[in-house]
Parts: sequence; structure tokens; C-alpha cells
Amino acid sequence: MSNVFARIVSLAMISVFTQNAIFDRAFGANVAIYASRKDAHVVGFSIAITIMTTLASIISYQFDGLLLPLPYGDLLMPLVYVGIISLLYVIGLLILWKGFPKTFYKVKKYAHLAIFNCAVFGALFLNSTFGKGFAGYVGYGFGTGIGFFFACFLLNIANDRLSSEKIPKIFRGYPIMMIYIGILSLAFNVLVGYTADF
Amino acid sequence: MTAENKKSHINADGLFRQNIVLMSGLVTAPIIVAATTLQRALVLTLSFFAISYFSILICRFIPRKIVYTVRILLYTIVAAALFIPTVIGLRYLFPDTTKEVMLYIELTVVNSLILAKTESRFYLEPYGRMAVDVLIYIAGYAMAAFAAGFVREILSYGTVFGFHVCEPIVPSAKSPFFGFILVGIFAALCRAAAGRRVSSRKERGK
Repeated sequence: MSNVFARIVSLAMISVFTQNAIFDRAFGANVAIYASRKDAHVVGFSIAITIMTTLASIISYQFDGLLLPLPYGDLLMPLVYVGIISLLYVIGLLILWKGFPKTFYKVKKYAHLAIFNCAVFGALFLNSTFGKGFAGYVGYGFGTGIGFFFACFLLNIANDRLSSEKIPKIFRGYPIMMIYIGILSLAFNVLVGYTADF
Repeated sequence: MTAENKKSHINADGLFRQNIVLMSGLVTAPIIVAATTLQRALVLTLSFFAISYFSILICRFIPRKIVYTVRILLYTIVAAALFIPTVIGLRYLFPDTTKEVMLYIELTVVNSLILAKTESRFYLEPYGRMAVDVLIYIAGYAMAAFAAGFVREILSYGTVFGFHVCEPIVPSAKSPFFGFILVGIFAALCRAAAGRRVSSRKERGK
């Protein structure tokens, strides 16, 4: 049991620091930039993405074992993952609608942005390639969500400065944010001494 | 309708002013991480075209009466179904490159052109104009992909479409951090070019 827990924690740490969804793979970079503009969005998006990547990883583990060994099984995976995430999305919205109607009306406009994005889908595809065993899937899925929060937080604290008058007009906002993420990504690469092939 | 009026209906916003990679940043991951050579850029563009264009054309027929939550699910299901023939075709044409960028082709299924732009722009236009408009947006994506692929291939490998041109100058240009910085610089240049176009149009108007 302690071995399983240790594996979950170590894979979660890997996906937060060494293979951060945003800094290492650019998964959901656009969503992170959008979410980082408001404190409430950082928390809301991160919670939604963490819950979704963890639960979807648990379910996808079963399907990966069945479908990936089949010839051309990999071609069906996007369809399967869309099905899993759609199911969780609808269940999540129904729970919010019935249990927390005020929150439901607040989040329904951008709930799909937090769910149908590269960070969530990318975690599942990476799990199918690198995830080993149930604990690996859970750890990687959970870590992707926490890594998203970590990245979003780093973007959020720089947001005001990067939108200030001191930045040349053509760089203000999105362009300087990309350069800032690039520098953070470089720092992570140097810190870890590792880089993904692509 | 005169020819001049017809011409004014074709809006080239998607190419520069609302470029989905460089201006709105709706689809960035494939360009930042995977577009490290021109061949990869070509494969990414073809997959983006095949999945997004046909998904948008097909999903137009999904009734607007269906609630937004369910429509979004249907859009992704159609895109995931189109992924299958797209990858079979790409594996036949570019087996090695397709394998290298497979992760980012898979992620095309949930790109924001299908999930966001359809509702905010494309499905508010007549069908014919929408078909052209989507093509222009995809051309904007292709432009960004090829520009990034060209710069990174020449810097990191010293080649252009695989042909040797010079010695590699910056091998780390194929890293994601360089991709972020390059897209940021391209975005600023694109913004400057779009701003100049608008101001020259205003001057002509005076």
C-alpha cells in the first residue's frame, strides 16, 4: 500500500515539476493565460482540471488496457477519451445544477473551457504512452491538475506587470506573456536538466 | 449584388488580425512544441485542416435548439471520428513525422477553432461565407506553423525541408521554451503589422 502511495506521489511530482503540462508540453497554455487574469478563475479552473484529469485517468486506465493492444486501437482513443470526459462533464454539471445552483450559473459559461482543453486530454494521452499501472495513471492525472495550478499561479502573479504601460504596446498582453512562459519553461528545463523530445 | 460588395464580404481577419495562433492564442501547443521543422509544420497543418475544417462544416447541421453543453460534446465527437481517416491518410503519406507529432494531432480534436470560434463567429455566418472564413483561419494557422517550422529548422538543424543549408546555429531552438519565445515575438510582429494595416486604411479613408 505504501508503495502504491509513494508511486502516486512521485509521479504527481514529476508531472508538476519535470513534465509540467504548460511549461514542458504547452498543454492548455491558452486556457492558463485566460484563467490567470482573475484570481477566482485560477482556483476554479485548477480545481475543475484536477478533478477531471484524476477521474478521467482512473477510468481511461481500464479502456487503455482493453483497446491499446488491439491493431489500430490507438485510433479509437480520442473517441474513447471524448466519451469519458463528456460523461464526467455532464455528471459534474448535473451535480452542480442540483446541489449548488448558484455556482452552476456562475461556471456554466466557461465550464467547457476548463474541461475540453489540451491539459485534460493531453494528460490522458500521455498516460496511455508513459503511464505504468493504476498508481501511475492516478499520480500523473492528479499531478497534471496541480501542475496547471502551479503554472497558472506563476502567470497570475506576473499578469499586472506584463500588462503595464512599461511594456511596449505591441508586446503588451499576449506576446509578452508567451515570452514570460518561455523564460519560465527555460528555467524549468535548467532546473530539472531534462527536456522532452518535442 | 455588385462584384465590389461581394468582395467586401470575404473577410481576411483570420489571417492576421484574428490569427488563432499569433493574435488570439487559441491554438498554440502544436506550434510551440511540435512545429520544429517544415515537414512537421506541414503534417500539423494537414491534420488541423482535415479535422477542424470538416468538423466545422458537418457540425453546422447540428440544430441550435440543442443546448450548448450537448452541442459542444457533439462537436468533439465529430472531430474525434474525423481523426481516424485523417491519421490513416497521414500515416500513409508521412509515416515517421506523423508518429513524431501524433500527440499534437490527437489534441487537435479539442482545439478552440471547433469549440469556441464556431459559436462566436462561424455559425453566425451564411454557410458559403463560413466555409471560406474557416479556410482563411486555417491559412492563418498554416502561416504561423510554417514560419515557426522554418525558423526552428534552420536554427536547430541547419536544414530547410530536410535539405542541408548551413551548420546548426542554435540547437536548442527545437525546445519548447524557444517555441514560446518565438511565438511571442511573432505575435508582437503580427500585431504591429495588423496595426499598420488599420492605420493606413484609416489614412486612405481620410
